[in-house]
Amino acid sequence: MASKPFVSGADSLFHFWPLPRPDDVLPPRGNDGNGAWTTPASDTTQVSLPSGNPPAPEQVAHPDTPDGTGSGSVSAAAAVGDVRGAELGPDDGDAHTETRGEGDIETRGGEDTADVAAEIAPAPRRPVAVVSSRERLLITGIAGGQGQLLARSVRDRFEIIGVDRERWDNHPRYVRMHVLDLRRRKLEDLFRTERPTAVVHLAFVRHFEANPRLRHEVNVAGTRQLLDYCASYGVRRLVVLSSSYVYGALPDNPCYMTEDAPLNVSRTYPEVRDLAEVDALCGAFLWRYPHIKTSILRPVNTLGNTVHSAVSRYLKLAYVPTILGFDPMLQFIHEEDLAEAVAVSLEKGIHGFFNVTGPGAVPLKVAIRESGGRPVGIPESVARVVIGNLFRLGLFPFPPGAIDFVKYPCTVEGSRFRAATGFSPVFTLSDIFKTARR
Amino acid sequence: MGVPSIETIAARLADSLRHVPSVGHVADEIEDRLDRLPTDFNEYGYDPWGLNRDVVARTTLIAALWYRHWFRVETHDIERMPHGRVLIIANHAGQIAIDAVMLGTAMLLEAEPPRIVRGMGEYWLPTVPFVNVIMVRMGSVVGTRKNCVDLLQADEAVIAFPEGVRGMNKLFSQRYQLQEFGLGFMRLALETNTPIVPVAIVGSEEQAPAIANVHSLARLLRMPAFPVTLTWPHLGLLGMIPFPVKYHVYFGEPMRFEGYYNDGDDVIGEKVEVVKQRIQSMLAAGLEARERRGRFLGIFR
Repeated sequence: MASKPFVSGADSLFHFWPLPRPDDVLPPRGNDGNGAWTTPASDTTQVSLPSGNPPAPEQVAHPDTPDGTGSGSVSAAAAVGDVRGAELGPDDGDAHTETRGEGDIETRGGEDTADVAAEIAPAPRRPVAVVSSRERLLITGIAGGQGQLLARSVRDRFEIIGVDRERWDNHPRYVRMHVLDLRRRKLEDLFRTERPTAVVHLAFVRHFEANPRLRHEVNVAGTRQLLDYCASYGVRRLVVLSSSYVYGALPDNPCYMTEDAPLNVSRTYPEVRDLAEVDALCGAFLWRYPHIKTSILRPVNTLGNTVHSAVSRYLKLAYVPTILGFDPMLQFIHEEDLAEAVAVSLEKGIHGFFNVTGPGAVPLKVAIRESGGRPVGIPESVARVVIGNLFRLGLFPFPPGAIDFVKYPCTVEGSRFRAATGFSPVFTLSDIFKTARR
Repeated sequence: MGVPSIETIAARLADSLRHVPSVGHVADEIEDRLDRLPTDFNEYGYDPWGLNRDVVARTTLIAALWYRHWFRVETHDIERMPHGRVLIIANHAGQIAIDAVMLGTAMLLEAEPPRIVRGMGEYWLPTVPFVNVIMVRMGSVVGTRKNCVDLLQADEAVIAFPEGVRGMNKLFSQRYQLQEFGLGFMRLALETNTPIVPVAIVGSEEQAPAIANVHSLARLLRMPAFPVTLTWPHLGLLGMIPFPVKYHVYFGEPMRFEGYYNDGDDVIGEKVEVVKQRIQSMLAAGLEARERRGRFLGIFR
């Protein structure tokens, strides 16, 4: 087994560099460096692309391919393949077809016709693999709101392999979907067969409905497992979606915390300490494998139509409990801006921790009113007891530790990310609050 | 749930003041000045640190009435205030931080262009209900180093009282004697290349003459000090009202310092001493001018 564990004892702790870099062990790839899209290194039949973000060659070769129902694509489907078939395929991972039988294709309206032309290549009838010119991207937690958005925004640039514990019904054709748990060995098979060179890790349990042990295990053990495979199977870019909550909401927080601020969340909000652990775990990985472009994104409160974030649940309560006499500033970002931020991090291959901020900050009560809710101020002593009991009975979605996040600021500075990527959010604050309306 | 929140009630009370004829003028004047602030507000009227224009308008209205009619503040050489980032260093006295409020009001009502003075709050202030919100809405922040650097780099006017509580709660017998200065402000000025404007406030040190400071009670109540003044605590809350002394606020020439901000305390201390001497001499000049107006009544006119 080629698997090299992420931390393999004291010895490897002191050997920072000598791990084989993919460049040493894998055949040279086409175009590299200067942030351009690179082709996966695993496949000897790779076609290298010029820099930039060019259209897929198939699209160039057949500019007049009609649409998804055209005969060209149906004949392409002869090449094989069920969505799940790829995952179970016994092949050794270098010959993949990405086309599928017509029967599997769920038509979801006209929006996909453009990429059907790009996706379904005219199938060569030779026993040679269908060459995919695009890098393979594995997205964990793809069935969640953020995963779906991300898949859509990078579909032109990557061949997308999706992993989630939940089924994603009617998922678009450009995603090869695998339903599995991150803690399963099957994930390793997936790395072996699919050979992704880019990974976006979104599979975190962020709500409190699950058993806390399960939550911790999925988040921490699952991430650890994934990082191991990333190191062993030649992944070259990794993006982990952490959260700005890891800094914690404390009274003496500066208004704008940089990425160097300590991760204090477990001091007052122990229920989410696994998120801080994951962040630290990825930080260790980032230092240990400098050749893997790893970015750990810590976005601010995310709102939108598809994302089920903690803060959107909170803002959608009928009466929104706040703490009497407190009204901290909160930053927000739109889910689609965040998806774009993740895509841009992949594209630029940035390396490090990055706070991702949106258009700005407003006081909590403004956010509540703007998203159509009514703030109800409760004295803190009452709130701690009431919320604690309601949470224990399953009648309130947040544990009492969350109270500090509506008392004290947890606002961060996003200039490092903007400087590294040139990212700037498109959605304004009022756009964001509109999407949060109930 | 038709019960208005405490914030709304306070806002309504402040707004009702405008119906008093002479107060309405002041309110309009404040609105005009706020329109000319160099601060950027977002679509909801907040700046990146939580400053809110409406809250400032209301609180400034109340402060302006005290400023004009109770303390009859007179500013001297306020046109020396430079544009862009500036660190205002002043003497601190008077048991409660009215001098800070008056200085902030002066900067809004009389400086060109009008400025919001950014205070650096104590670390425990954000834990006090309501106070923390008002503090932030008026433009102050917790006094962490990062906050101060950010504000100065955003070209804001930051105020600091290097004497801190030592100055605010000094006894009447120590009036106009500057207490020990902290060094932090000088390091921040050097780091961000900010000019320092020394300010001498004459009048504040007689507004609530303290005859004793009961340290044991202060410790018990977890307060920084427990002063006993001529009126407090034996007259109750009424005893907290300061005497209507006349305030004179003297603005000095901006001072620029050069050097490495992480130098040792001795090097930084020398530079701090220069600022302290400047404020002390400005205080002496101000007191001399007041003496000429009358040894006792000069305090009030």
